[in-house]
Amino acid sequence: MSGDQAAAVADELRAILAQVTGRDELLGITADTALFGAGVALDSLAGTLLLRQVQRRYGVDVAAEDLNLDALATLGTLADFITSVGGAPPDDPLENPIKGAPPDDPPENPFKGAPPDDPPENPIKAS
Amino acid sequence: MIKCVIWDIDNTLLTGVYLESGEHLPGADPDLLGVLRELAGRGILHALASRNPPAAADYVQQLTGIDFAAVECGWGSKADAISRIAADLGLALDAVAFVDDDMLERAEVAAAVPAVLVLTPEDAAEAPDWPQFSPPVITAEARRRGQMYAERRRRQAAAAAFGGSRDDFLRQAGTRVTIAPASDTDLRRLHELSVRTHQLNSAGGPLSETELVRVLESSEYRVATVTLADDFGDDGLVGAAIMTVNGSRRAAVPQVMMSCRALGRGVLDALLAWLCRSAAASGAAELQVPCLVTDRNVPMRLALAAAGLRAEPGCVAADGRAIFARPLTGELPPLADWVTIA
Repeated sequence: MSGDQAAAVADELRAILAQVTGRDELLGITADTALFGAGVALDSLAGTLLLRQVQRRYGVDVAAEDLNLDALATLGTLADFITSVGGAPPDDPLENPIKGAPPDDPPENPFKGAPPDDPPENPIKAS
Repeated sequence: MIKCVIWDIDNTLLTGVYLESGEHLPGADPDLLGVLRELAGRGILHALASRNPPAAADYVQQLTGIDFAAVECGWGSKADAISRIAADLGLALDAVAFVDDDMLERAEVAAAVPAVLVLTPEDAAEAPDWPQFSPPVITAEARRRGQMYAERRRRQAAAAAFGGSRDDFLRQAGTRVTIAPASDTDLRRLHELSVRTHQLNSAGGPLSETELVRVLESSEYRVATVTLADDFGDDGLVGAAIMTVNGSRRAAVPQVMMSCRALGRGVLDALLAWLCRSAAASGAAELQVPCLVTDRNVPMRLALAAAGLRAEPGCVAADGRAIFARPLTGELPPLADWVTIA
């Protein structure tokens, strides 16, 4: 049942959000709580950490699949997005997603991959 | 180019072994003390990796007066400690040098992380003469970078101990963000930002000082700078936006760039909120930020999304850019009360 699965994912996302922001009160947010703006007030740093945990846990690269990151509208839309592209909670329980992360994987540099091949010219140059 | 030197403590920076010295702690090696100061003056970071208790690092910090950007004390492998330090500072391993008097430690690091430049203390004493330790451009920000990382360590510890929201912490920490028109004296730093920023850079691709001079002198563009300070320290000029000035109803911002030091400190949000307000005040109906869509600048896309900007799905151009836009009607993103517009 995908609805049950989305609910299970939403529960884990609350724990991940509480971890990446250090705010335990986020464990109690409802599925329709906005992640940006009022509500959770997700910023670039917390958002990047969240997306990285999502990728690690569910194998879903939200930023690669959702140009506008509309999946991050609310807790519920993110859970639905993850389950709709086939992500499901693994069998092992989620524990301390941040503290358990390997320490060579810091928040400062979440996307360490190789530099883009030949970044395009800065458009200001061309003008 | 080496951006960080990671030092062993015992028989390297110290003239003896910290734990075996009883009450008479060893002094600093005078040659290496000179090297520490010289390289710090060039904007090169220093870090410590030692099999000592953390107190040894505090002692070395006191003794040398150097602000170490990262400290790893413990019994784990030094190769792992070096990898953690490089990741923490956002540096590639080939921008890191490691200095240790112990041949086995050097051999282990050289085998496990071959990109790291591994040096004996004797090598390190000569290193200031080597080209890879001589950056061509040294800005005031670069020179202060080691100190800023030390301030960041204290800030992060305080934030972790703080219970409330991010904004509550920023307020408590005395955060001050100032947005001001760029001047000629900002040229080097703007160039440096265009080269060094990736995660929080909308346009991608560096701008030379010549190109920046043209932008600064042109009436087609307006450049705003962002400076950041709080009670933990002064980060100086951390970001900028280049805006197009043509009286169009669509206000375009060809480049937004921000140092990752500002990540998580509300600075990019402040800049985007101000850009909305400034464009709306000049009569524009829409704000447009063309943004390169890569896996490296996801933090920039998150900030754009948080500020209400959206791109047409499927409209990523051949050059990898999409135009993120938002109408300037209705409620604009809030501008925090610690932001000053100069």
